[in-house]
Amino acid sequence: MTWQTFLFLAVAGTAFGYSGYRFSILFKLMKAHQGQGRKVDRIPERISTVILNVLGQKAVLQKKGIGIAHTLIFWGFLIISVGTVEQFASTLVQGASFEFIGHWPYRAFLFLHDIFTVLVLAGVGYAAWRRYLVRPEGLGKSHDASLVLAFTAGLMVSILIMHGFHIAGVQPDYSSAMPVSSSVAAIIQGLFGFSPGVNAIIGTLFKWIHMCLVLGFSVYIPGSKHLHIVAAGPNTFLKNLDPTKAMKPINFEDESVTQYGTAKVSDLSWKDSLDYYSCTECGRCQDVCPAHNTQKPLSPKNLILDLKNNLYANKEAMLAGKYDEVTGVIDSHITEDVIWACTSCRACEVACPVFIEHTDKIYDIRRNLVMMESKFPTEVQTVFRNMETNASPWAFAASDRANWAEGLSVKTVAEETDFDVLLWVGCAGSFDDRNKKVLRAFVSLLKKAGIKFTILGNEEQCTGDPARRIGNEYLFQTLAKANIETLNRYNVKKVVTACPHCFNTLKNEYKDFGGTYDVVHHSQYIAQLLQDGKLKPTKSVDETITFHDSCYLGRWNNVYEQPRSVLGAIPAARMVEMKANHAESMCCGAGGGRMWMEETLGARINVKRTEQALETKAGVIASSCPFCMTMMSDGVKTKEMQDKVRVLDIAELMDQATP
Amino acid sequence: MNIYVCIKQVPDTETKIKLNADATGIDPTGIKWIVSPYDEFAIEEALRLRDKNPGSTVTVLSAGPARTVDAIRTALAMGADNGIQVETPETADNQLVAKALAQALKKEAKVDILFTGKEAIDDGASQTSQLIAEHLDFAHVTVVLGAEYTAQSVTCRREVEGGAIEIIEAQLPVVIAAQKGLNEPRYASLPNIMKAKKKEIKVLKLADLGVSEADQKVRVKNLQLPPPKAAGRKLSGDTAAQVQELVRLLHEEAKVI
Amino acid sequence: MAKVLIVAEHRDGRLKKATLELVSHSASSGNETHVALLGDGVQSLAADIGQAGAKVVHLAQAPELKSYTAEATTRVVAALAKSISPDVILASHTPTGRDFMPRLAARLDAGIASDCTQLSYQGNGISVRRPIYAGKATAEVEFLGSGPKLATIRANSLGAPKLDASRSAEVVPFTSFELSGLKTRVVNVVQGNAGRPDVTEASVVVSGGRSLKSAENFKILEELADVLGAAVGASRAAVDAGYRPHRDQVGQTGKVVSPSLYIACGISGAIQHLAGMRTSKTIVAVNQDSEAPIFQVADYGIVGDLFQVVPLLTQELKRVKEH
Repeated sequence: MTWQTFLFLAVAGTAFGYSGYRFSILFKLMKAHQGQGRKVDRIPERISTVILNVLGQKAVLQKKGIGIAHTLIFWGFLIISVGTVEQFASTLVQGASFEFIGHWPYRAFLFLHDIFTVLVLAGVGYAAWRRYLVRPEGLGKSHDASLVLAFTAGLMVSILIMHGFHIAGVQPDYSSAMPVSSSVAAIIQGLFGFSPGVNAIIGTLFKWIHMCLVLGFSVYIPGSKHLHIVAAGPNTFLKNLDPTKAMKPINFEDESVTQYGTAKVSDLSWKDSLDYYSCTECGRCQDVCPAHNTQKPLSPKNLILDLKNNLYANKEAMLAGKYDEVTGVIDSHITEDVIWACTSCRACEVACPVFIEHTDKIYDIRRNLVMMESKFPTEVQTVFRNMETNASPWAFAASDRANWAEGLSVKTVAEETDFDVLLWVGCAGSFDDRNKKVLRAFVSLLKKAGIKFTILGNEEQCTGDPARRIGNEYLFQTLAKANIETLNRYNVKKVVTACPHCFNTLKNEYKDFGGTYDVVHHSQYIAQLLQDGKLKPTKSVDETITFHDSCYLGRWNNVYEQPRSVLGAIPAARMVEMKANHAESMCCGAGGGRMWMEETLGARINVKRTEQALETKAGVIASSCPFCMTMMSDGVKTKEMQDKVRVLDIAELMDQATP
Repeated sequence: MNIYVCIKQVPDTETKIKLNADATGIDPTGIKWIVSPYDEFAIEEALRLRDKNPGSTVTVLSAGPARTVDAIRTALAMGADNGIQVETPETADNQLVAKALAQALKKEAKVDILFTGKEAIDDGASQTSQLIAEHLDFAHVTVVLGAEYTAQSVTCRREVEGGAIEIIEAQLPVVIAAQKGLNEPRYASLPNIMKAKKKEIKVLKLADLGVSEADQKVRVKNLQLPPPKAAGRKLSGDTAAQVQELVRLLHEEAKVI
Repeated sequence: MAKVLIVAEHRDGRLKKATLELVSHSASSGNETHVALLGDGVQSLAADIGQAGAKVVHLAQAPELKSYTAEATTRVVAALAKSISPDVILASHTPTGRDFMPRLAARLDAGIASDCTQLSYQGNGISVRRPIYAGKATAEVEFLGSGPKLATIRANSLGAPKLDASRSAEVVPFTSFELSGLKTRVVNVVQGNAGRPDVTEASVVVSGGRSLKSAENFKILEELADVLGAAVGASRAAVDAGYRPHRDQVGQTGKVVSPSLYIACGISGAIQHLAGMRTSKTIVAVNQDSEAPIFQVADYGIVGDLFQVVPLLTQELKRVKEH
């Protein structure tokens, strides 16, 4: 025990005490949320997710340059933290060290420690170069980030100087394991030529500087974006494990529920706050957001930060349990326009290195706006009315639903009980002249392959997807239950549909209401028919084709390859990818109910995506979704390219190629 | 203020009309019933007037068979306070309905203002508001696009011929028949929908009101469906000939100009 | 033969053609035709009514009758009806006729049929047919009980009035009415939104799409609209391109319209647009692309260049109108 022991105890006690207090408030804030958080199940999968993404930095490495820099800093942080613990120990108990782990292991540790100190510095250098010179738009300006970079650099520099003086002063036998620090020692000797005693004292001084930086950092972290070093690990552990995702159902039977959706931050869940805590403000979500990239007021990054700020502003009321006093989630930052701008494409969620789920928060806020406050863009009222009275978002008579199939001798399930698969037509296929042609082409393919199929005919109703994404869960459930009743009544087992929105809803969301079916998208079905040799495309389609990924097929359901394999099977067709493809594909602008809303802010999303498609010089833009079809076709017309570029569904192309 | 609204339940606008076996009415199978759209403007106007005058109530009345309560519930979900169903037969004419509704209104303590739609979209007769007004000896203003209310009177903007707007002042009590454009009807919030489900709706029978089927003055003898609309056709000839033919068809065949 | 009382309608010192149509039709059906002419300083209008075949014009004049109100009209006509006991009382189904006639029916405890498009006289009664469900069906209406039979008749349903200068009606002043204590008062009549009506209210809508290529080119549609008294609408593409304001947008996310005549110029007919105008009674499409989906819903289609077709159509309509 020396004066250093007592000084350290006092300083570290204060720092950790204060830091701990701040963390405890964050924890209590988490617990003060009223919404339902994620259920912790499938532990082994979660552990392997953490190993892969935290230790392995897989998600971070989706972006190469900064991903590598972050990985170096993160691994360095792990190793250097062990060194910091050793420093703390040796300050508390004179001469304490980790040398007991063995001669070589200890030297190996020191070697790594030494090397990573430099690698971390290199990583910080790269990050600083990017932040101050490259300045990607998504990063924005952040004093917090500058301070964190300075802290980290300070920590590394203090380590090197500490080790340099220590080696110069004490000349420990393990110095050979620390090549960098040894070089620093040599430089110090050459520069100053102090006596070993003086060097040792300066070494101790820098150890204190380093330890104070660490302690200062620990106090700083809870209020900083660097909170992610604590939160991101748990958030990764708690991530949504499937690429597919169903929206959370509301139990309308439960009469104790009086608040539907999120009016206040407290209506969200503890997991949502963990999302804010995890956010590092890297801006990857913003970079890929179709709304942000067309000058809409929505930035997924700002949404998360604004929610965090709203939570902090309501700290007192939340902690006191005075939920009445918590202010609304819609404020001067999160405006209604922000909430309505989302196309539910989930590009933000796929891009997020710490698995923040942005869109669920938006849907939940929409639920409150729609169901509690009846606030939504005026044109949406027509959509709701149509869905309520005609079971279609467009104003068409329910009794006209099967008219598209006139002359095709397609039987309804009421007329024909022996079938392999039920064809779910969808509202676009039923009522939109352009998409009726897609359905006719798909029917033609099914016939060519000799498949026994039926349709529900006029008994089919909208799946409810538009209502659900817009926030009208009540209307969604009304339609879902009616459809499930019909499907179950006819004992339907397998369903194929040409609409990814219907596909997603039938496959992933009806489960929660008693409707479990084997649902495939027509791209998957056609791919299977090709594989089984039931379809034999032999006619050449001499076209250059670029495929536009539908969000609800790709990011929502992880179906990327089958539509491409279908196109690839077309003789003479040449495939060319857009720059943004697969998981990075850009939304057409129609998802999340935006198909039925006006786009009055910023540039048009469909035009931007069409421009990306036109860049490929392809003569055909292939789509696999009725909404994408509409949006891309409109985009092509806007660009006045309709004479040179056609937008076709994969089924239409395959039908052309199949005799 | 004691505010009342009379509404009618009608088949949705997209309904395919099929006749019943003896062609005296429509076949009701598969029909989606809605509140007649003009009546929604009436409900909305009543709710707005109530909210501007604390202590006011909005009571919704509708005449018709049992299914009519659904229309009343829709109005309750929008925010109306009370609902009254007057049981009338499917075949009732507007005279019978109006008399029954007027009698029901006479049972109320006081009626300051009564809103209706300017017409129901099923029979499109635009009669009931005026009929009720006469039975109650109230003033009436139809096809109202805008209204300003005072404690004694209401000043309305009503649509007359040729796009002209008449400004008319009427003393309370008054019947106002709403035209599209009067306001933007709200979408019912879910808590209100839930509350509306539990609200009690008073049911009145014709006998309770001293009205009998003898008060019916007209009856639908038979219905006919119009000849199926001819398939659309593209005109032929040179442009000038096509244009001339078009004008002739619009005038003589479609009779729209 | 029936005793028919027709309530005359006039505006700006001129009789409505629809009134003459009723009078002429009644007279030529062999009825004893009486006409109630209400107003202030309107006696000169009796001559035309006589030429159309009326037997008697009952002239009710008072300052309170200068501007139409349902209340005053009901009082006067009810008093007249009680005095002359007609079998049938008719008015045109105009904003005026549809306003007071039901009130009159309630006062007389009589049956009424509105917006009739067919009318025939049988003995001392009438047989009428009227459209219901927005024209998706028609109903024959039967009057029950005794008392006068009231009907409002849609203009232009009975054929053009036949005027005969040799005929004249007996003009009888009618004064046995009471107009004190009226509860309604016309403050003013103003012209609505100057010139063109709003798309949702117009009975004729002329709409343009992106093919118009500029805001200025909408002028040709405006000229056509002015001949027809129509509103000018636009597709979403045209609105997006900035050719027209959003309030003119027809379609799912704009205005939903159902006029008696919809003329779509250079509009392909995407679902978004069709959802907003499909229920129009008569649809005319002008489009260069003969495959455009708009032709699926159009009653009459012209495949051609709208920049040629529309001005010609305007000219032709003007020419027809002048004759």
